[in-house]
Amino acid sequence: MAKAKIKNNVPTKSRTKEDLAVVGKNWSRLDGADKVSGRSIFADDVRLPGMLFAKVVRSPYPHARIISIDTSEAEALPGVKAVITPEDAKDIWIGISQPLLPTENVTHVGHEVAAVAAMSEEIAAQAAALIKVEYERLPELLDVEKALKEDAPQLHEKAALNIGWQQEEEHGDPDAVFAECDVIREDTYITNPSHNCYAEYHVCVADFTKPGKLKMWTPTQTAHLFQQSLAAGFKLPASDVRLLTLNTGGGFTGRTSTRPHHFLAALLSRKAGKPVRLRAAGDEEFIMCRAGGKVIYKLRSGASKDGKLKVIEADLLFDTGAYIESQMIVTLLTSKYIHALYPIEASRYRGRLVHTNHLPYYFHHGGGIAQFQFALGQHVDALAREMGMDPVEFNLLNAVEEGHTTMEGAHYASCGLKECIEKTAAMAGWNDKYGKLPKFKGIGIGIGAMASGAKGLYKHDTSAAFVKVTEDGKASLFVGLPDMGQSSHTTMAIICAEVLGILPTDITVISGDTDTDPLDIGAFTQRGTFNTGNATKNAAIDARDQLAKTAANILEVDEAQLVFRDGKVYPEGQEDKAIAFAKVVYKTLHSREGRFVMGRGFYNSPLEKGTMAYSFGAQIAEVTVDPGTGVVTVDKMTASHDVGRAINPRVVEGQIDGQIFSGMSQVLYEETLMEDGQVMNPSRLDYKMPRAFEMPEVDHIIVESIDPNGPFGAKEVGEGPIVCTMQAIANAVTNAIGDQVTEMPLAPWRVIRAIKD
Amino acid sequence: MAKQLIALTVNGDPYEVAVSPHQTLLEVMRDSLNLTGTKRGCTAGSCGVCTVNGEQGEVILSCLALAVEWDGRSVTTVEGVEEGNELHPIQKSFLEHGAVQCGFCTPGLIMSAKALLDVNTSPSETDINEAMAGVICRCTGHIKVKKAIKEAASVLREREVNHGES
Repeated sequence: MAKAKIKNNVPTKSRTKEDLAVVGKNWSRLDGADKVSGRSIFADDVRLPGMLFAKVVRSPYPHARIISIDTSEAEALPGVKAVITPEDAKDIWIGISQPLLPTENVTHVGHEVAAVAAMSEEIAAQAAALIKVEYERLPELLDVEKALKEDAPQLHEKAALNIGWQQEEEHGDPDAVFAECDVIREDTYITNPSHNCYAEYHVCVADFTKPGKLKMWTPTQTAHLFQQSLAAGFKLPASDVRLLTLNTGGGFTGRTSTRPHHFLAALLSRKAGKPVRLRAAGDEEFIMCRAGGKVIYKLRSGASKDGKLKVIEADLLFDTGAYIESQMIVTLLTSKYIHALYPIEASRYRGRLVHTNHLPYYFHHGGGIAQFQFALGQHVDALAREMGMDPVEFNLLNAVEEGHTTMEGAHYASCGLKECIEKTAAMAGWNDKYGKLPKFKGIGIGIGAMASGAKGLYKHDTSAAFVKVTEDGKASLFVGLPDMGQSSHTTMAIICAEVLGILPTDITVISGDTDTDPLDIGAFTQRGTFNTGNATKNAAIDARDQLAKTAANILEVDEAQLVFRDGKVYPEGQEDKAIAFAKVVYKTLHSREGRFVMGRGFYNSPLEKGTMAYSFGAQIAEVTVDPGTGVVTVDKMTASHDVGRAINPRVVEGQIDGQIFSGMSQVLYEETLMEDGQVMNPSRLDYKMPRAFEMPEVDHIIVESIDPNGPFGAKEVGEGPIVCTMQAIANAVTNAIGDQVTEMPLAPWRVIRAIKD
Repeated sequence: MAKQLIALTVNGDPYEVAVSPHQTLLEVMRDSLNLTGTKRGCTAGSCGVCTVNGEQGEVILSCLALAVEWDGRSVTTVEGVEEGNELHPIQKSFLEHGAVQCGFCTPGLIMSAKALLDVNTSPSETDINEAMAGVICRCTGHIKVKKAIKEAASVLREREVNHGES
C-alpha cells in the first residue's frame, strides 16, 4: 500500500473546509443527466438477440406435498422453449437449507415449483398456467409464537421447536446490576411483515448459453456476493460467473443476496440455449420479495434513581419463514445495538429465528436495526418518563461519547451524538414544546448509532479500487461498489478528485462488471463511503505518488512539498510555480520510463471483527393525531446526523430525507397483511407508503466529527438516519395521546385502540 | 386476436406499428419502438413510474393506456423533454437540487412535473403535491423533488417574462 508521502490531502483533525478543494461542496451526481433524460439503462431495459421471457409456477398453499407435476401441455404450446421442474434443479441450493425447487414439500405461498421460458411474456404466462401441479395439503404453521410450542409441527428436521438459529450474548452481570437498580421497566413491542418496495421490481436477465459461462444483468447491492452465490449454486469457478450491474432501482437492504429467480432464469437459459429475462409481474413482486417478517421484542432495563441507565435485556423472536439463508445476520446486527448508545454496565441478548410457513423473510430498510430501535427507543423513552425525566435530558445524561468502547468491543474514535441531540433539540424548540403542547399534538426524540461496515459477517470487509490516469489529465476510477441511488459513485469521484487535485467531473467512474471491477463486498451495512472511500483514496494516493516523481523533478523540489490542487501541481506556498496536472501526466508517460499511471488501493478493517467508524444521529418528530380517526400526521422532522465529514452535503441531506420517508412509511403505514399465509395487499395501492402531500417539512443538521480513520474524516449516512426516525415518530405519538402504541405500523386502528384504552 | 396497424407519434417522431388490441402504450413504446426511457413498474396504475404526457399535456399512465386508443395521436416521454442538446429546466433542476437518486421513478416524476409546469409556472404547494401524488418514490422522500419543481417553476416564470418582453 502506498504511503501518503505528500502533506497535502492528509486528513487531520485540524483540517478545515477551506483546505479541501472539492470535498464538502455540493456536486450533482455524475450519472444524473442520463437519469433525468431516460438514457439510464436498468435490467428490464436489456434486450439481447433471441431473448426469451420467463414465468414461474408458484405454490398457492403455505404447506403441501407435491404429488405430481404435469408439464406436457405447457411443453406442447408453440413458442415455449424450456420448462424446468424440480428434476432440473437437483443439487442447486439457495444458501444452506433451501433446494432451488422443492422435491417434496412446498413450504410457503409463492414457493417456486416450476418455470417456463417462451418467446414472449404472454406465451410464458399461458404455459405456466398449463402446468398442472397436484398437492396434498399439510398442517400449516403461520404464527411465530405457536411455532415454538411443543405440539407444533416441526418444519425442518434439524430445527427443534422450529428454532432455526439462536444467538445468546451476555456482557457483565445483568442479574447483579438489575438487583442494584432503583427503577426497572419491561415492555413488549411488535413489528409486522413488510416489503422493500423499491421502484424497480425484481428482475434479472441471464445468459447461460455458452457452456460453463454465466452472465447476469440484475439490480444488486453486492455483485461480488451474487457472483459467489451463483457460482456455488451452479458449481462454477466464480470467475466464470459475470455479474453486470446497470443501474439499481433502490436497495433498501433488500438486494443483498441472490433469490430463486436469479437461479431459475439461469437454469432456463441453459436449457433453452437463449438469454432469458425473468421479471416479477404485478402482485408476484410481493410474494417473491423476502423483506422483513414479524418480530416480537421483549425488553427490560434498569436505571438508578439519578437517571443513569445501567442494564438492558432484550429477547427477540423473529418469524424467519420457511428457510434460512443469511438471516442470521439480523441477530448478529441487533445484538450489537443493545449497548451501542448508552455506556451501560451489563446486557443480555437472545435472538431466535423461528421457522413458519411464510416466505423466507430477510430484512426491510434499516436491516432489523432500525426496527429494533423502534422498540428500544420507545422503551427507553418510557423509562425516562417513569423516572420523571425529560427524554432529551435523559439521552444527554446517558449518551455515549468519543473514546467510548462498548461492552462488545466497538470503539468510537469519533462521536458527535451529544452534539446531535443538543443541536436537534435546539432547532426543534424542544424546551418550548415538550409537555406544553395541546392535546393530540406530540413531540418525540429518537437517537441512533450505526457502524460503517460489518466485518465479522464475512471474514473480510474489503473494498478495492483502481485509478487510471489518462494523458489528458483526467482519470477513470474503477470500483465494485454498486450505486443504488445513494450517489456513491459520485462520492468516490469526489474523493479521488480531491487527492489528485482535479475535478470530480474529470473522473469517469467505471463500475458494474465483475470482469473489470476490483472486488468490493458491496453496498450494505452502510460501508461504502468509509470502506470504498478509503480504498479509493488509497488508489488515488498511489497514482498521485507516481506523478509526484515527475513533478518533483520538473519543479526541482522534494516530493513531500508538492501540492496537487485545482488541476495544478506546485510546491507548497508557491502557486506561481504551478504546472498543469495534465502536463505532469503527459511528462510521466512521454519519458524514457514511459510510465502509464495506475493507482491501486484497498481497504479492510484492521480489526478482527467490526469497523473503525460509527456514525450517530438524533431526530425529533412533531405529530398531530386525529382523535376521531387515529390518523397520525407528521408535521415536522428535525434531523441531525454525525457523518464524520459530509463529502457531498446535498447528498447527505438527500439520504436523510429518504430515510425519514422510509422510517415514517414503516412506522405509520407499511404492513404486508398476512392471512392463511397469503399476502392480502399485494399492490402499491393497498400497501401504503407516503405520497408527496403526506411528507413533513424536514430540517437538516449535519454534524461533522471528522473521524480519524475515515476518508477526509467521513463515516456514513447510508442507513444511520432511518434508525432514529421510527422511534422518534412513535415517541411523538405517545406524547400526543399519553400512551404507547407498541405495535408497528401505528395504523389508525392501533392508535385509536391506544387512545380508547 | 388480429393485430392492428396504428400511427403513433412519440416525441415528434412518427411510427407505424402493429399492435394487439390488449397491448398497452407502455408495452408498445418499450418493446416495439425500443423506447426504454419510460419505465415499467407495477403495470397496474399505482406507482406512476410509466407516466407520459399526452398532446394536450394530459398525465397518462402508459401502463393502463391501450395502444389502439392512441392511433393518430402523439405522446411525449422523458426522452423528448430535452430542448435540443440542453436539458430542460425541469431536468436541470432535478439534477442540481439532488432530486434524483436511484432514477427508476425519475421519468415518472419529470413527466408529472412537466405536465404541471407546462400550464402553471406559479404552482402552490398544494398544486405540486397533487401533481406528484401519482408517483411513488422511495429514495428521495419527495422533499428535494418538490424543491426542484419550485426552482424549475421560477426559471420557467423568468423565461415567460423574458419571452413576453422580446
